[in-house]
Amino acid sequence: MGDWMKQDFPIFSREINGRPLVYLDNAATTQKPSCVIDAMSNYYSSSNANVHRAVHTLAGEATEGYEECRKLLKSRYNCDYAVITSGTTEAINLAARAWGEYNLRAGDAVVLTEMEHHSDIVPWQMLAERIAIELRFIPVENGELDMEAFDVALEGAKLVCVVHTSNVLGIRNPVEEIINKSKAVNAKVLIDAAQAVPHELIDFKELGADFLAFSAHKMCGPTGIGALLISEDAFSEMEPFMGGGDMIETVTLQGSTYQSNEHKFEAGTPRIAEGFGWAAALEWISKVDLESHHTRLLDIARDVSRQLKEKGMTVYSSLGPEDAAVVSFTHPTIHPEDFARLLDAQGIAVRTGHHCAQPLMERLGVNGTIRASFYLYNDESDASIFLSGIDRVLEAMA
Amino acid sequence: MTWPDSIQEIIEEFQEIDDQFERLEVLMDFSSEVDELPVEEWNDSNLVKGCQSIAHIEVTIRDDKVWMKAAADAKMVQGLQGILSIAVNGSTPQTVLELTPAFAEEAGILVSLTPSRSNGFRTMFDMVQHRVKEAIE
Repeated sequence: MGDWMKQDFPIFSREINGRPLVYLDNAATTQKPSCVIDAMSNYYSSSNANVHRAVHTLAGEATEGYEECRKLLKSRYNCDYAVITSGTTEAINLAARAWGEYNLRAGDAVVLTEMEHHSDIVPWQMLAERIAIELRFIPVENGELDMEAFDVALEGAKLVCVVHTSNVLGIRNPVEEIINKSKAVNAKVLIDAAQAVPHELIDFKELGADFLAFSAHKMCGPTGIGALLISEDAFSEMEPFMGGGDMIETVTLQGSTYQSNEHKFEAGTPRIAEGFGWAAALEWISKVDLESHHTRLLDIARDVSRQLKEKGMTVYSSLGPEDAAVVSFTHPTIHPEDFARLLDAQGIAVRTGHHCAQPLMERLGVNGTIRASFYLYNDESDASIFLSGIDRVLEAMA
Repeated sequence: MTWPDSIQEIIEEFQEIDDQFERLEVLMDFSSEVDELPVEEWNDSNLVKGCQSIAHIEVTIRDDKVWMKAAADAKMVQGLQGILSIAVNGSTPQTVLELTPAFAEEAGILVSLTPSRSNGFRTMFDMVQHRVKEAIE
C-alpha cells in the first residue's frame, strides 16, 4: 500500500548507511511529496515577490498563491478565521498573547493537562508570570486523562487547553466531551491539533473549540508554517501582539489602526514559499482517504506493539481505535539513544528522548522512550524491517 | 597528524570498518576500557553538562600522570569515555593538554554519532583538559 505512495516522495530513493530509508519519525515531522517541493521551488523560480501591497504581476501571483493556502485551510477545516503562523508553537503563543493577555485577569484559572507538549505549557506559564493566572493540570492515569479531575478543575475556569492527540503516546483525548463541558461553563477552549490534523479531518465549527493550532510539516507540508484557527467569538476578543508592516490599516506618528481580518496577527512579510508549499500539501492530502489509512496504520502499529512486547519491551501506547499509529516503548536495560543509533545504522529513523513532554515522562516514570510513529507512506514492509532491526540490536546488546 | 600509538591503533581499528552497525558495536566495546566511577561518587561537579544522556567524569593526577574515572547510562557514551580513557590515562598533564579531539574525527567516530553526542564527546574532552589545567595550576 505504501509503495505506490512512496514514489511521490523523492527522499525514499535515498539510502541511509547503505540501507533503504525506513522513516518512522513522523510524529516529529513528515516527508514531503514532490508536489510540495515543486510548488516551493516554482514560487522562487517564477513568482517570487512580496505579497499584498504591490500592483505588479509577480506580487499578484505571490499574493494569490499565499492566500490560496488560507482559502484551502478555511474550506478544509470549515472555519472563518485562519491566522497563518510559523507553526503550532507560534499559534499557541499567539492565543496566549493576543487573547489570553487581554481576556484573562489575575486569579483566573486555565486548565491544562500533564499530557501537553511543552509548546502548550510554557506559553501559559509565561502568561502566569505576567498576569498571575492560575494553571490547573489534569493528571494522566494509565495513559489517559483523569476526566473526574477535569470536572473538578473546570469549576470557574476561563480557558481549557488540551492536546487532541498525544505526540508521545498517540492517544486521542476525548476532545468533544472536553469542549462540551467547557462550553457549558463558558470557558474558551484551545486544542493543540498538531498530531491530529495529519490523521483525521477536523470540522472546526462542528468541533466547537475556540482555537485550533497545528503545523504544516506534520501533514507533508513545509516546515516553518502553521495555523491558528479561531472562532468568531474569540477572534472578536483578540488584540494584535506583534506590530509591523502588513497588519496595519493606517500609520501616523500619532498612532496606528489595524486591519480587521487575520492580517492583523501576521505582521511582517509572511512565509510565502511555505504558503505555496502548504497549499500543495493540502491539495495532495485532500485526495488521500485518511480514514482508511488510519485503520491500516493502526493495524500495523498494533502488530508492532504486540511483537515489541514479546521481545521484552514495555510499550506505553495503548493504540485504541481512535489513537494515532504511534508506538512509544522502552527496553529494560538498553538506553533509548543506543537503541536509536543502532537502528539508524540500519537505515531506520525513530525518535528518542522526552519528546518535548517532560511532565508526561515524569508521570510514566521514565527519562525517555523510543518512539516509532507511522504515516501514510509506511507499510508492512517498513514494520517488518523495523522489527528485524530491533532483533539485530537485541542480539548485539545481549 | 601523528598520534600516540594507543590513539593511532584506535584510528586504524575504526578506519577498517565499513559497516556502520559494526562501527557502533566496536565503539560500545571500548566501554570496557573505562575505570568506572561508582554511582555514589556522582555529583554535580563531575557531571558532564551538555550531554543528552547522563555522564560523569572525575579526573585525578597522581605522580604526574593523568587518570580518569567515568560513568554513563548509555553504552555508546561509555564507549566514548573508554576511548578518551585510552587517550589520557597514564599520560602527563602536558601531553593531555596538547591533545586535540581531532583524532576522533580521523577515526570517523564523530561522523558515526548524532551531532548531540559528537558534541558530547567534545564536551567530555574539553572537561578532561579543563580539569587537568585546574589541577596543575
